[in-house]
Amino acid sequence: MKQFVLRYGVFIALLVLIVANIIWQGKVFLDPVNIRNIFSQNAYVGCIAVGMTLVIISGGIDLSVGSMMGLAGVITIAVLNKAGVDPTASLLSAVAAVAFGTLAGLLNGIIITAGKVPPFIATLAGFVAFRSAALGWTNASEQKAKDGLETFGKIAGGGIPIPGLSVGSRGLPFLVQWPILFFFALAILAAFILNKSVYGRRLIATGANEQASIYSGINTDRVKWFAYSFLGFCVGIAALCQASRLNSVAPNSLGLGYELDAIAAVVIGGTSLSGGKGQIGTTVVGVLLLGIISNMLTTSGIDNNWQGCVKGVIILMAVLIQRGNRQNA
Amino acid sequence: MKLPKQSIKSGLIAGLLMVSFATLWGCGSSGSTASESNAPSTSTAPESGAKKFKIGVSIPAADHGWTAGVKYWAEEEMKKHPEVEFIFQTADNPDKQIQSLEAMAVKKIDALVILATESSPLTPAAKKLKEEGVFIVNVDRGFTEPIADIFLAGDNKKFGQMSAEFMAKKLNNKGSILVLEGIPCTVNTDRVEAAKAVFAKTGIKILDSQSGMWNQQKAFEVMQTMLVKHKQFDAVWAQDDDMALGVEKALKEAGKANVWILGGAGMKDIVKRVMDKDPMYPANITYPPSMIADGIRAAVDTLTNTKPEELKNWKSKSIDIPIELVEPSNAKKFYFPDSIY
Repeated sequence: MKQFVLRYGVFIALLVLIVANIIWQGKVFLDPVNIRNIFSQNAYVGCIAVGMTLVIISGGIDLSVGSMMGLAGVITIAVLNKAGVDPTASLLSAVAAVAFGTLAGLLNGIIITAGKVPPFIATLAGFVAFRSAALGWTNASEQKAKDGLETFGKIAGGGIPIPGLSVGSRGLPFLVQWPILFFFALAILAAFILNKSVYGRRLIATGANEQASIYSGINTDRVKWFAYSFLGFCVGIAALCQASRLNSVAPNSLGLGYELDAIAAVVIGGTSLSGGKGQIGTTVVGVLLLGIISNMLTTSGIDNNWQGCVKGVIILMAVLIQRGNRQNA
Repeated sequence: MKLPKQSIKSGLIAGLLMVSFATLWGCGSSGSTASESNAPSTSTAPESGAKKFKIGVSIPAADHGWTAGVKYWAEEEMKKHPEVEFIFQTADNPDKQIQSLEAMAVKKIDALVILATESSPLTPAAKKLKEEGVFIVNVDRGFTEPIADIFLAGDNKKFGQMSAEFMAKKLNNKGSILVLEGIPCTVNTDRVEAAKAVFAKTGIKILDSQSGMWNQQKAFEVMQTMLVKHKQFDAVWAQDDDMALGVEKALKEAGKANVWILGGAGMKDIVKRVMDKDPMYPANITYPPSMIADGIRAAVDTLTNTKPEELKNWKSKSIDIPIELVEPSNAKKFYFPDSIY
């Protein structure tokens, strides 16, 4: 039983939260559109949380992801608007977003390993610098995608229609949007890397005991480069989707605070901040847990300014349920 | 070894949390038209490289569209006065702004043009500068003590009231609406409270009131969520044009027709749609970020045209910044295609 709670505590917390919210405001909560919204609104943080899980397992952390996302978004729109017509323009902007993210992640990894800078500090520098670059480049003003790009809006707006369901009085098709699918695809990919590949075992070893890993012949620097690059790749996808969804990028707010949401989701999912231990599946549940809390507060009618208090209490309760009686385990 | 490492890490994360909250603090207001900027240039010719005076300009950092507009107008105006040395700084919270005022004092500025992040914490800092003989031009949000030599007063309560009155009139004092709030701070509270006071006197029902943080993405998400709960309503009081755009996307995605939006601030894209009689945007309320340019111009003009002894006996004056209703009939007056906002 103890083992079960330890491993699956976050699922229990999620279940408790769902049941409680069904009792509280089931009609709104269970509306298919609402459930779809919870997934689509959190897919962005979700992509980042998946990558963050690998970085945290490696014994590191990345605080620069929110700012990196802002800059990646600015780059996405800049390339899109320079690149001519769709679908080429959308394709190039997608490549640019993902390439920038991956390189920025790799840069973080290199600074951390080659410069021997603690991950917290190295990525804190990125947290400040990426945002500033995004603001400076655009003079802090919103960047809009030019008109007539049909494909670009579909990256986040399109999706797979669910037969039998529709949205609104005009009967628009009910779509499971691409970002939701990207989120789950990245999660499956990361879970495979973590659990089935040689790299995954090296990653866990590096996070658990770096010295021992070095002695046993693991190139821990390379292990870390990949983890941070993969996270950057995830950030690029998130930025691309968000830019597409709004057809524009606000350099001051895109990705703002995402680093905290992503880290929170990973930790709520039970991944240890000291490295060497963690799972992707529970991170996904952590993302949904935080998403449901935000959603239920928005629909609850609780005064805006007080919602944070309620959120804080629920997060704490969720973590306590998730951990069960670990102290005695 | 393990324990301290982890506790250091959590300590740092807590620190970061605080940094992030501080970022959210940085609260500007919201609104914009561009003012006619054919500034009457009263300046004398620049004396061979030597600057005539130093003016400090301190404004909130660009954390959303309106504050980005303030930065744009400040920079445009400063370019027009090459004879003046400007010290220009943005601050994302009151603490940073106090620091930059202190730095300006060290540089011995002659005048300060300030749009405060928050009124009360900036009052003592500005007072210190005034006591040192700095000419103070205060824009938008007033200090808690009468220390401004020139005060260009914005009025967010009036903004809230005017926009609510328009909405009430167009709805014939009945129906139901959704309200969007901004970043929690004085500006937002002033606007929302004033609007709610107007609605309370009518038969209009506010179904829900949620924060969209004055940004498009948050407004879009919050609107998506509210749309599940509220199927029937007539209009959205969105307060700000960035948020209005987010609301519009959510309405369209949900296939919701016959609902109109009242934003505010005079973003050029929205003013254009008012001008083109878009049924979704019947009107707009101005809250011009160009007010900062008026403030800078006032400071330059006063320093240029006033004798030092007159400056000592300066009587402070207060000018209200006009907050106006933009409708299709007068929208042309408020449309500035070259502005960044």
